[in-house]
Amino acid sequence: MMFRRKLLAVFALTVFLSVATVALIVSEVTRRAFARTDDERTSALVAQFKREFNQQGEEVVRRVDSIAGSDAISRMALALNRTPADSGPYFELAKLTAENNRLDFLEFVESDGTIVSSAQWPAKFGYPEESFGGFAAACEEGAFLKQEPLQDGSSLGLFAVRATRLGERPIYVAGGRRLDKNFLFGLDLPLGMRALLYQNRGDKFSAEMLVDPSAPRAETIRPPEKLEPLVDAVRQYDQEMTAVVSWSGNQIDDEVFHAIPLLGASAANAKHPPLLAILLIGSSRRNYVELKRRIQSAALLVGGGGIAIAILLSSWAAARVTRPVEQLANAAQEVAAGNWNVRVDVLGTDELSQLADSFNRMTTELLGQKERLVQTERVAAWRELARRLAHELKNPLFPLQLTVENLVRSRQLSPEQFEEVFQEGSRTLLAEISNLRGIIERFSEFSRMPQPQFARVQVNDVIRGVAQLVQAQLQAPDRAKINCELQLDPQLEPVMADADLLHRAISNLVLNAIDAMPQGGELTLRTRSDKNVLIEVTDTGVGMIAEECERIFTPYYTKKKNGTGLGLAIAQSVVSDHGGGIRVHSQPGHGTTFVIELPRNKDTEEDAS
Amino acid sequence: MKCFAWQWVVVSSILLMAAARAETRPQYGGTLRVAIREAPVSLDPLQGGADATPSDSFAQRNLLALIFETLVTLDDRGRLHPGLATDWQAAPGNQRWQFRLRRGVRFHDGAPLTAEIAASSLRTANPSWKVFTEGDSVIVECDKADPDLPAELALTPNSILKRNSGGKLNGTGPFHIEDWLPGKKVTLVAEEEYWRGRAFLDEIEVEMGINLHEQLVELETGKADLVEVAPEQGHRATMEGRRVSSSQPMELVALVFAGDAQTPDERILRHSLADSLERSSMRSALLQGAGQPAASILPNWMSGYGFTFSSDADLDKARHERAQARTAPNWTVGYDANDSVAQLLVERIALNAKDARLALQPTSLATAGLRLVRLPLDMADPWIALSKAAGILGMAMPKRSGDTVEGLYSTERELLAGQRMIPLFHLPAEWASSPTLRDWKPGADGNWRLDDSWMRKEQP
Repeated sequence: MMFRRKLLAVFALTVFLSVATVALIVSEVTRRAFARTDDERTSALVAQFKREFNQQGEEVVRRVDSIAGSDAISRMALALNRTPADSGPYFELAKLTAENNRLDFLEFVESDGTIVSSAQWPAKFGYPEESFGGFAAACEEGAFLKQEPLQDGSSLGLFAVRATRLGERPIYVAGGRRLDKNFLFGLDLPLGMRALLYQNRGDKFSAEMLVDPSAPRAETIRPPEKLEPLVDAVRQYDQEMTAVVSWSGNQIDDEVFHAIPLLGASAANAKHPPLLAILLIGSSRRNYVELKRRIQSAALLVGGGGIAIAILLSSWAAARVTRPVEQLANAAQEVAAGNWNVRVDVLGTDELSQLADSFNRMTTELLGQKERLVQTERVAAWRELARRLAHELKNPLFPLQLTVENLVRSRQLSPEQFEEVFQEGSRTLLAEISNLRGIIERFSEFSRMPQPQFARVQVNDVIRGVAQLVQAQLQAPDRAKINCELQLDPQLEPVMADADLLHRAISNLVLNAIDAMPQGGELTLRTRSDKNVLIEVTDTGVGMIAEECERIFTPYYTKKKNGTGLGLAIAQSVVSDHGGGIRVHSQPGHGTTFVIELPRNKDTEEDAS
Repeated sequence: MKCFAWQWVVVSSILLMAAARAETRPQYGGTLRVAIREAPVSLDPLQGGADATPSDSFAQRNLLALIFETLVTLDDRGRLHPGLATDWQAAPGNQRWQFRLRRGVRFHDGAPLTAEIAASSLRTANPSWKVFTEGDSVIVECDKADPDLPAELALTPNSILKRNSGGKLNGTGPFHIEDWLPGKKVTLVAEEEYWRGRAFLDEIEVEMGINLHEQLVELETGKADLVEVAPEQGHRATMEGRRVSSSQPMELVALVFAGDAQTPDERILRHSLADSLERSSMRSALLQGAGQPAASILPNWMSGYGFTFSSDADLDKARHERAQARTAPNWTVGYDANDSVAQLLVERIALNAKDARLALQPTSLATAGLRLVRLPLDMADPWIALSKAAGILGMAMPKRSGDTVEGLYSTERELLAGQRMIPLFHLPAEWASSPTLRDWKPGADGNWRLDDSWMRKEQP
């Protein structure tokens, strides 16, 4: 991965993590704050409901008090204290009084517990009141809950009991309001809040026992069974509980329900007061969820925007930071490619600028050293060339000098002798001149190496051709025996090459190998392929030291008595013209291996073409 | 001086006595305004009689009695009196009866009453009878002996009327129809040539379909002079100072099963239910003391033996009987949804039954297997009243075993033995009247009897 991308990724990741962390923290803190606010709101609403509930109870007490003190009830009490007492005329009194006082339940009960008149069950006159046992105590208390039996079942009510004492036998007035939809409707609840009542009858949760005053909404399905766990928990522990009820998969429909157990009338005295009903105060979480979603949306928006901006800024910053580095890298690549003249812009005085300046000075220094090295090598080459030329030319010159001196001295000889010497001298002169010409031609030939003509060439075929050519030389009787072994890769692919030049290069290597084994040995010609095609020529000859290996491809460098020093130079020139390379591995006494590496891919073909 | 004072006292007393006598002496004129709960849509005795629903037959009977008359009438004790027939006699075997018509009687359109018109009217009302004339007499021949035929002729459906070509009905009663708005109002005007003599009242306006509460309001505001009062409200109305008049108990309140008891268990359970009912407490509270607890169909005043039918509750016996039954009853008790007292009675009955471990479910649906019904007893004649009651309830009238009280008793016992019915109460009909209506007292059978009533003129 490029340095800029890495830098960009690091910057972006850093910003993303930072923004995400901040967004999460803000969201969590906000959520907790709103959850706390929501809890406080629910608590306030529950408290408000309780106040409202208590007010309803106080209103019931007030009305029952009023009834107990009314003239009609006083007259009835007086009449029923007479003997014999006739309660028949008061049969409808409870109903009429209840209607006038807007009570759902009203009963007048004699001191023996017999119902004189009942508004909720008029036909029950003369029957005993089932909960009469608690009436005396209830007279001194406020409102209480009671499950009131009715003609068609029973109903939960908020009751109060008072007594009218105008004779020996008091008359009890038990009145109340029904805890039903109308009662729940009558509660002054804030917006978003509703009250439900679960009548605790039976052992198991029953949806029919749930009094829900809210009108059913088609768009919202609220299966009562969702409240079952909360109701069961309250039934089990008899204490207030709070739970979130999810009506649907959408959190916006969720409601927080605060369940309040409503205990029976004897709660103050009994060890285990009956749980008559459970009041469920629901508070919609719509506002909370909507707010939470808005916060999340804002966090996502800010986070996303921050990340986008971070990427842009990171790109700019990374580009600004990495541009000098990239320039240095490109310059280094240029240098590696041989372009030593490359320069890097030096902007500012920071570390990268110092690095660029150092790079420029380094390349300048390298360029200078290179030029000096070239000059040195050039001088060395000229010296070598001069030495070789001197060496090559000195040999013919000496016979030429002797021959010319003989001719000069032979002028004093007889003409016959002179003629003989002249003839001999002329032949010698011509031979040495010819020798000089040959030397000049070889130099000329090396300087005129032909350009390769590329074609698809099977390297193995070229190897076989070379082996066949040198076979006779290897089998010469005056030579120590050299075994030639071919280890050719049959899967070797053809390469684009000039077969003649390749043949000449390999032949030079083979001839050198033969020359290196005057005592005989093993000559191995091997081909193989990896990413390139490899040709190896290995001998078991005397080997070379490292310094020799370094100089071995220098033209006219040779250790052989009659060598020109051009064979390996020609081989290197040919391989180089094919886009390949040649190297040597050798140790004294352990033989030498020349490795030719030729490209085989298309790029090579194109380059070669 | 002393002599002058005495003279002044004597003259003043005479003048005061004269004035007081003038206050109580009947006066001609005035309009009586009556409000009734029922709303009959026809004034045809045939439509209002045999096919009348129990709820409107009382009002219809009283209304028609002002317009139409019968050959024979019954008094409060069920005794026969001449009506449009001056006398009657039966041939041996009581199968053929001859009624001699009163002379000088005219219909409201001025036509004289003739034997042919009377015979035609009776034939229309009783297609199974053979009715023909013989001089100024009407002869009625029945399929079998019928000693009660004269009493039956006193029933409203057997009123003598003349149907004109336009369908208009003409009677011979003291009032003729002046204006008729079916179901709403009828205006009757005194017949000047009535054979018994013109009524004191000039007109009677009957407003129909007025509920009991509105009737009392109209009485209080002077818009009505005579209104109905529910029996359970009679005591209160009296206590509030209203003039309340009652008939003898003429309405039977009873529980009626859809059919006879089919199994011994069912019979026992019905006994148990009947024994569990506390009629006295129901009467005391729900009926506010009105009426009489009843275990018989006919009221005691009519039959004379009603007291022998015990109406007291016996809860122990009821529970014992319930325990004997192997199957549990699952009764629903129906009542008229517009009758609040009936609903209370049914709820109380369900409570009483629950004490005997019987389950009764009150309902206002008509499909209940057990219903609380109000059954008007048509007239003072016990045989006819019993027969009519049995007929309305769909019970087969047992074979008559004689005209004696014993025969009546055994017949009623036999009717009740089927346990189709559990009698509860006998209720009177009650009315409240304004002080301006004078000399009015309803008959024991609930008849208005406005013949001698008159309206006191208000002082200017």
